[in-house]
Amino acid sequence: MKMRPLIALPMIAMAASCLAARAEPAKGDRALGEYLAGECVACHQVTGQASGAVPPIVAWPEDQFIAVMKSYKNKDRDNQIMQTLAGRLNTSEIEALAAYFGSLALQPMKN
Amino acid sequence: MLMNRRRMLVGSSVFGSALALGAPVVLGQAKQRVVVIGGGPGGATAAKYIAKDSGGALDVVLVEPASQFVTCFHSNLYLGGFRSLQSITHGYDKLTANYGIRHARQMATQIDRDKKQVVLADGTRLSYDRLVVSPGIDLKYDSVPGWGQAHEETMPHAWKAGKQTEILKARLDAVPNGGLIVMIAPPNPYRCPPGPYERVSMMAHVLKSAGKKDAKIVIIDPKESFSKQGLFQQGWDTYYPGMVEWLGPKIHEGVKSVDPKTNTVETGFETYKNAALVNVIPAQMAGKIARDSGLANGSGFCAIDPETMRSTIDANIYVLGDACIAGDMPKSAFAANSQAKVAAMNVRAELTSARAFPARYANTCWSLIAPDDTVKVGGSYASKDGKIAAVETFVSKNGETQTMRKEQQGENMGWYAGITNDMFG
Ligand SMILES: Cc1cc2nc3c(=O)[nH]c(=O)nc-3n(C[C@H](O)[C@H](O)[C@H](O)COP(=O)(O)OP(=O)(O)OC[C@H]3O[C@@H](n4cnc5c(N)ncnc54)[C@H](O)[C@@H]3O)c2cc1C
Ligand code: HEC
Repeated sequence: MKMRPLIALPMIAMAASCLAARAEPAKGDRALGEYLAGECVACHQVTGQASGAVPPIVAWPEDQFIAVMKSYKNKDRDNQIMQTLAGRLNTSEIEALAAYFGSLALQPMKN
Repeated sequence: MLMNRRRMLVGSSVFGSALALGAPVVLGQAKQRVVVIGGGPGGATAAKYIAKDSGGALDVVLVEPASQFVTCFHSNLYLGGFRSLQSITHGYDKLTANYGIRHARQMATQIDRDKKQVVLADGTRLSYDRLVVSPGIDLKYDSVPGWGQAHEETMPHAWKAGKQTEILKARLDAVPNGGLIVMIAPPNPYRCPPGPYERVSMMAHVLKSAGKKDAKIVIIDPKESFSKQGLFQQGWDTYYPGMVEWLGPKIHEGVKSVDPKTNTVETGFETYKNAALVNVIPAQMAGKIARDSGLANGSGFCAIDPETMRSTIDANIYVLGDACIAGDMPKSAFAANSQAKVAAMNVRAELTSARAFPARYANTCWSLIAPDDTVKVGGSYASKDGKIAAVETFVSKNGETQTMRKEQQGENMGWYAGITNDMFG
């Protein structure tokens, strides 16, 4: 069984873009997050668009993002790719990723 | 001089000699220049990340003769009828428009490492502060007796995508029921370890879908074993019973000769005559420009520092992708993209005030065995003991649910969209 995020995704996205606009200080190191994100955007789109079975991960509240990454790391969630990638990330790296992806805006769909 | 240089900066793709001689020293405030050879997964990603993340502080020139890139990845899906050729073709227009990368549409013919200049086909010399080399592979045309470049239309390799892929597809579609396909598989190391076997799966799928169940595919393999072997062989038994035969070197005892005129393949074990299609995938080596510049070692590939992707031969040069020796990482587009980001970060750290973080790499390769049955292999990697070493790996297992296999095809399609955006978007 897979766990889904607690709230519906579009809501998370909207809530998060409001948060980002308020420019709250992020706890994560955004520059580190941006570098680490290079690994993620091989699959996840920076525009926040879903594609195939790869879900959008931008503009989430940081706590939510961190919780989901930890659940892959602990193997509570069962995707092999995500377990392997999250397994290598320590807490500050996960926070850095949350800060970076959280700061990206969901871009409107093209076409 | 200044005017000429300015004009060049605004999106021209043909280089005049004024630019060529305009080494950064000539103009006090001139930007430092990074030249990238090759607009494939490695080169395109490196050019984009260097230009994007340095916010215009560096002059980035991509040297690539083609105006469009057809990806080898998912070319097997084109073969199987799951994708159009158009959908796996990408232009460089977004890289030039969005990030200020200049595209020199020429071959690089020489790297003058002493002068730190790249010589282009028209003789232009392009100075660089750092050079990224990602020319992919060259085929060893002399590695299969009787076969050579002159025969690549009669016996296609389709190991570089584009016209070759179209030839293979046309030939595959024309195979009659009862016809024989012979694939000569490549020795290690080669581009995309599961690629030949995904291709065989797609060939079998096309034959089966057309009702040609008496057609047969024989794989003559120089290797004792191959990537995801158990998964592929189980899949072939399930979906294409009796259609696929894999022969390792102990059984076929080597390819003695091929005859493109009669479509014959002779091995130590048997002679296959009048094949409807022979797909020769020869041995491989790093692209010519890398070898000619002395960046490759005796293996035909280029040694790199696993912490930075810098060439071990020349500290101003980075070698990426299929051309480099990437330790435990396979030669894949995913790997080239991953390596490019490590190189880009280090280039920026050297030339600007950007920070450099410890290198980390990742890879996943999906293979489609049948519609809705996709398997994967992947891992994460880091610099260890002087090479890029696997930290953790995973691979699909036999007996996985149909739902899971179908979902993995969804991942595969999502990945393609994501990574091609990351490279060319
Ligand atoms: C059938 C098949 C299936 C595959 N499937 C997958 C897959 O599912 N997933 C995956 O990750 N990988 C896959 N791959 C592997 C992937 O295509 C390669 O690993 C990848 O393309 C390597 O990228 P690269 O940048 O090193 O080289 P290339 O893609 O070869 O790009 C090199 C570029 O450099 C240019 N060039 C060469 N020499 C010069 C020069 N002197 N001057 C200027 N330009 C030059 C060439 O024109 C070319 O555009 C597959 C490969 C094949 C053949
Ligand atoms: C090889 C492709 C791939 C890479 C690389 C990748 N992901 Fe994922 N990711 C997926 C897939 C597929 C899923 C859906 C998994 C599932 O169903 O649980 C996913 C799910 C997620 C989710 C949960 C999304 C949701 O809606 O539940 C998050 C968060 C996430 N990834 C973050 C990351 C981060 C951060 C990275 C980089 C460190 C990363 N991913 C790298 C493929 C990838």
